[in-house]
Amino acid sequence: MTAQEQETIFRQWLDAHLGLMLKIVRGCTAAPQDQEDLFQDVLLQVWSSIPAFRGEAKATTWIYRVAFNTALAWRRRERRRRERHETFLKFDVSPQSQPSHADTLPEQEIVEQLYAAIRQLPKVDTSLALMHLDGLSYSEMAEVLGISENYIGVKLNRTRKQLAEQLKGASDEL
Amino acid sequence: MNFEELQKNWQAQRPGAQVTINVEALLREVRRNQRSFGTTIFWRDAREVAACIFMTALFLTWGIQQREWSLDFLALCCLGVGIFFVADRVIQRRKQPAKNQSLQMCLEDSLREVRHQIWLLKNVFWWYLLPILVGIGTVVASKLWHQRHTELTALIGLAVFYVVFYGLVYWGVYWLNQRAFRKELEPRRLELEALLASLK
Repeated sequence: MTAQEQETIFRQWLDAHLGLMLKIVRGCTAAPQDQEDLFQDVLLQVWSSIPAFRGEAKATTWIYRVAFNTALAWRRRERRRRERHETFLKFDVSPQSQPSHADTLPEQEIVEQLYAAIRQLPKVDTSLALMHLDGLSYSEMAEVLGISENYIGVKLNRTRKQLAEQLKGASDEL
Repeated sequence: MNFEELQKNWQAQRPGAQVTINVEALLREVRRNQRSFGTTIFWRDAREVAACIFMTALFLTWGIQQREWSLDFLALCCLGVGIFFVADRVIQRRKQPAKNQSLQMCLEDSLREVRHQIWLLKNVFWWYLLPILVGIGTVVASKLWHQRHTELTALIGLAVFYVVFYGLVYWGVYWLNQRAFRKELEPRRLELEALLASLK
């Protein structure tokens, strides 16, 4: 793969899947500085994974895998601020900055509560919850996690119950 | 609110709009980062190889100049340790996991890497300390043999000095390695095992 092709794919993925990467980052870390740091790591890992991308997997599945693997390896106590030569990222994930198309305040709050609840889950369940909320099929989730579709069903049941526990009040019946 | 409604809310958010990226600057940054990572790895390996070559050459030169075979033997021990270290690094790099593999495979590979690091630290005495200790022991024994005609108490004093000095140095190196294993690698291994267990 030429550098030009790598750059083209990266630009396309940024256009199409930036939100997906950000959701994963917000689902895995709470503090804005941690989110920014992990987000940078995810971007760098996605970039360096592109030469291995042969188009056999869907881009979303690929990005989920790279982003989850990066998030799992990323640990707060080892966090080191990247030495940046120039600013390429303006990062504001405070709830107030959340733009919405007809989002009402309660809906924004629900999303924030969901993020908070997801962050309370065990790490592997976090990835499952994020994919489930994004509407991935069982087979796609199984492909990302490397476990069987049947087991995805079992784990999802458990994860939904845990989420419901966390979201008591916001949601009555998950 | 049921799950479908939650999902609808979730999917309606547009988190990408919370981030402004200067793509040109980002591309320059990722390229710079990639180059810098490659350079860091190269120099780390180069440092280790250089240290090994330096120690080997140093003891070899001394051995030749002083016509002392035990120094040549020490040089050989240093070379052996260096070769083991570099070979291990090369083998481990070949086993580096792909970035896009499934979460389970990624965890398994990370666990394998951590276990290997633990193995290296737990066995640091056998592959690092002992070979060099044998080399140093040979040099010390040879030195004492050459001075065998001096007074016995002086000879014993010299021997005790060598034992205490190298004993302390070796204990320090061993302690540092075991500390790194206990404080860093063991918690990481337990964490990875727990994550993997949660997938099974």
